[in-house]
Amino acid sequence: MPILEASGVRKQFGGVVALDGAHLTLEPHEVHALVGSNGCGKSTLCKIIAGSLAADEGRLELDGREVSFAGPREAAAAGIGVFYQDLSLIPEMTVAENVYLGREPRGAGGLVDRVALRDATARALAQFRGVLGADVHAEARVADLSADQCQLIEVLKVLAADPRVVIFDEATAALDRNQVGAVFTRIRALKEQGRAVIFITHRMDEVFELADRVTVMRNGRTVLTAPIAATSRDALVQAMVGEAIAGAARDRRHEPAETVALEAQGLGSAKLDNVSFALRRGEILGLGGLHGQGQSDLLRALFGVLPIVRGTVRVDGHPLAPSGPRAAMRRSIAYVSGDRARFGVLAIRPIFENLVLSLLARERRWAVARKKLEGVITPFVERLKLKFSSLQAPVSELSGGNQQKVVIARWLAVVPSILLLDDPTKGIDIQTKQDLYATMDQLCSQGVSILLHSSDDEELLAVADRVLVFNGGRVVAELSGEQRTRVALYQAAYASARGAPAEVTAASP
Amino acid sequence: MNLALSTRRRPYLLALAVFLLLCVINTILQPSFLRFGVAASNVAAFLPMALVAIGQTYVVLASDIDLSAGTIVSLVNVVVVSIIDGMGGSGVSIALGFAVGLALGIAAGLFNGLCVAVLRFQPIVATFASGIVFAGIALWILPEAGKQVPPVVYEAYSGALLGVPTVVLILLAVIGFAQFVARSPFYYALRATGGNMQAAYQSGVPVARVRIGAYTISGLFSALAGLALVGETASGDPLIGGALTLSSVTAVVLGGTALKGCIGGVAGSILGAFILGLINNVIFFAQLPFEWQGLIQGLIILAALAGGVVMARGKNG
Repeated sequence: MPILEASGVRKQFGGVVALDGAHLTLEPHEVHALVGSNGCGKSTLCKIIAGSLAADEGRLELDGREVSFAGPREAAAAGIGVFYQDLSLIPEMTVAENVYLGREPRGAGGLVDRVALRDATARALAQFRGVLGADVHAEARVADLSADQCQLIEVLKVLAADPRVVIFDEATAALDRNQVGAVFTRIRALKEQGRAVIFITHRMDEVFELADRVTVMRNGRTVLTAPIAATSRDALVQAMVGEAIAGAARDRRHEPAETVALEAQGLGSAKLDNVSFALRRGEILGLGGLHGQGQSDLLRALFGVLPIVRGTVRVDGHPLAPSGPRAAMRRSIAYVSGDRARFGVLAIRPIFENLVLSLLARERRWAVARKKLEGVITPFVERLKLKFSSLQAPVSELSGGNQQKVVIARWLAVVPSILLLDDPTKGIDIQTKQDLYATMDQLCSQGVSILLHSSDDEELLAVADRVLVFNGGRVVAELSGEQRTRVALYQAAYASARGAPAEVTAASP
Repeated sequence: MNLALSTRRRPYLLALAVFLLLCVINTILQPSFLRFGVAASNVAAFLPMALVAIGQTYVVLASDIDLSAGTIVSLVNVVVVSIIDGMGGSGVSIALGFAVGLALGIAAGLFNGLCVAVLRFQPIVATFASGIVFAGIALWILPEAGKQVPPVVYEAYSGALLGVPTVVLILLAVIGFAQFVARSPFYYALRATGGNMQAAYQSGVPVARVRIGAYTISGLFSALAGLALVGETASGDPLIGGALTLSSVTAVVLGGTALKGCIGGVAGSILGAFILGLINNVIFFAQLPFEWQGLIQGLIILAALAGGVVMARGKNG
C-alpha cells in the first residue's frame, strides 16, 4: 500500500492555474524524485501535501485514509516533514532552538530542559561532523552561519521531527559535494527505515544517484512516473520541456577583445586574500571551486556591498572606489544574486516595481511616466520569457525561476557593461537556464563583460571562457581552453582544500 | 568585540549601564536616594510603568505592538475604583473589584489578540483603535477623576510584609513569572514568531495562538498596572494610563528589545522603565525647569538608543 497518494490535485492562484491533474504516489522504502521546470507546480504540490496550502480539488491519502490538513502543524503531527527551499529557520535564534523548534525537550513543570536541548542538538550535529564546519555548535546564532551551513541545519531540523514522509525541496542547492554526500547518507538511512522521501532537485545526476522512482511535472500536471532504471536523462529532460531540445552540452567560444574592462589587483578583505585578475571586454570569467571560498564575497565587494580593505580595482583603466552600489552602478556595473529572497526581490511589491527598480535608481528626473518605463522593460521581459498574470501582481506570486528572471531583467534594462552574476541559476529550470545562457552570449557579443560565479560546475565550465578556482579567499588556479574540465576543476579545488598546492598550475590567458 | 558579543547575548547590558549611571547622578543630586524608604517609594512610583513595559515586551517579541496598553490601565483603574466605591469599600468589594479588574485586562488583551492574529488587522491600527474604545469606556464609567478606595488598599500597597515593601514583593513576583515564562515552550514559539513568522508557521508553531497569548499577557500586566495605580493614588482617573503606552514602548526599546521581534527580554524592559523614572527624578532634583523635562527626557532616550545602534554596528562591522 502506498504511504502517501495525491491524486487529481488542482490549485489556482487568482487567474493562474498552478496545478491541474497532479498525481503523486509514494511507497515506503522509496526515494521519489520530483522534477520539472520552475513554475511546473512541484513546489505547490509539496505545499499542499505539507499542509501550508489547501487544494481546490483533489484527494490526499495517507496510509490509504483520506486526510486534509488545516495547516503545517497538522501535517507535521501526521508525520510529514518538509525541507523548505527558502528554509524555515529563525535567524536570530540559536541552532539548538531552531532544530527543535516546537519540539523542545520538556523537563520539570513542562518547562524547556535547556541541557537536554543542547545535548540533543549536539548529537544531531554529530551526524554532519566533518561537513558542517567547526564553528557550528548548539548555541551558535543561525544568522552567523553561511548558506550551506543553514541548509544542513534545516536538514537536521527536518530529521529531528522523526517524520515518516519527508519532502526535500532543493535541499542540496548550496551544498558542496561532501555535504551532498552526507545528506544523501541520511536520506538513504530514512529509506532503510521504511520511510518515504520526495526529493526535488534541478540536478539530474542527483536524480540518478539517489532516486528509486521519478515523477516529472509540466505546467501543473504529472506527465511521467517511472522507475529510475527504466528512464534516462534525455527522457526526463524531454518530459520536462515537452519538446525535443538539443543536448545540454554547449561549448561555444567568445572572442573577447584585448581591452581590459575590469582589473583587480591584490584585493583583500575579511573573506578575500590577494585576488588579482583581468576581465576583458566580451569575456565571461568564471569563479569556481568549493562553496563559500570567497566567490560571492568578491562579487559583492566589487559591487560595493562589502568593504575592500586592500588592493585596487580599475574599470576601463580608471580606479574604482566601490563606496556603494550606486557608485558601482554609475560605472555600469550590475549585480544579480542567486539568493533572490535575501538580495533580489521586494516580495510584496508588484512585479512592475521590481522590474524598474534599477532604472529608477538611475533616473535623475523627479517624475517618470509609467508607460515609458513599460516600453523600456518589455523587450527584456519578452527576451527572458517571463511568465506572469499581471505586472501589478506581487512578485512573491511568481515561482522562484520567474522571480530570478525579474531580477535579471531589472539589470539588463540599465544596459550594464560589466555584469556580476552570483550563482544566477540557483534553483532555476533547464529551459530558463538555456534562455539565460543565450542572453549572456548575446551580451558578450555586444561587448559586455561578465563575472560569473556558479555552484553548478558543469555550467561554469561550459559557459565561462576562463575559470578562476577559489580556495579560502585566494585564487589557487586558473583554467582556460582545454583545461576547463571537471577533473581539473576538482583537482584544483580539492587539492588545495587539503592544504596541498594545486596540481593544475595557473595558465596565462 | 567582546562587549558587542555580550550585548547580543544580553541585550539589556546597555540599559543596565545607563541605569547605574543615573543612580549615581541621582545619588549626587539627592543624597537620600539610597535610603530604604526613598528607594521603596521610587519602586512604587515606577512600578506601573514597569508592569506595562513587561506586558509590552511579550507583544514586541512577537514583532507586534500594543498601543492600547495605557488605556487598559485607565479602564481597569476606573472600573476597580467604581466597584469598590459602589459597594461601600468592604473587603468583599475590594476582592471582587481586583478580580474583575484582572479579568477585564485579560479580556481586553484577548480582544486585541483576536483582532490581530485571527482577523489579521495591522497591529498598530488595531490596537490604536481598540485603545480609543477602551479610553472611551473608561471616560463613560468615570467622566472625571475622583472616588475613593478605603485606606486599607493604599496602606497595603505602600506598606510592607515581613519588612519587605509590598511593591518590591510585587516586582519580585513578576520577575519570577517572567523567569517561568522565559523557560516555557511558549517563549520559544513567541521568539520564533517574531523572528520569522512565515518560517515559524511552516515549522508548526501555532502562530495565531502565540500572538493572542502575548496580547493577553500584555492585557494582564496592564491590569496589574491599573491595580498598582489604585494602590498608589487611592482613587480613579480615566486618563491616568494614557501616557503609559508610549513610555512602555520606549522602556522596551531602551531595554534592548528589538521592535522587529525575537531579540530582547523582560529584564531590559524593567530597567528601561526605571531609567525613564530616574530621568524625571534627576530633572526634578537638579532643579531644572519642569518645561525642560520633555526635551531632556527625549535627548537622553535618543542618546541611549544611539548607543545601542552603534554597538550593533560594531558587532557587524
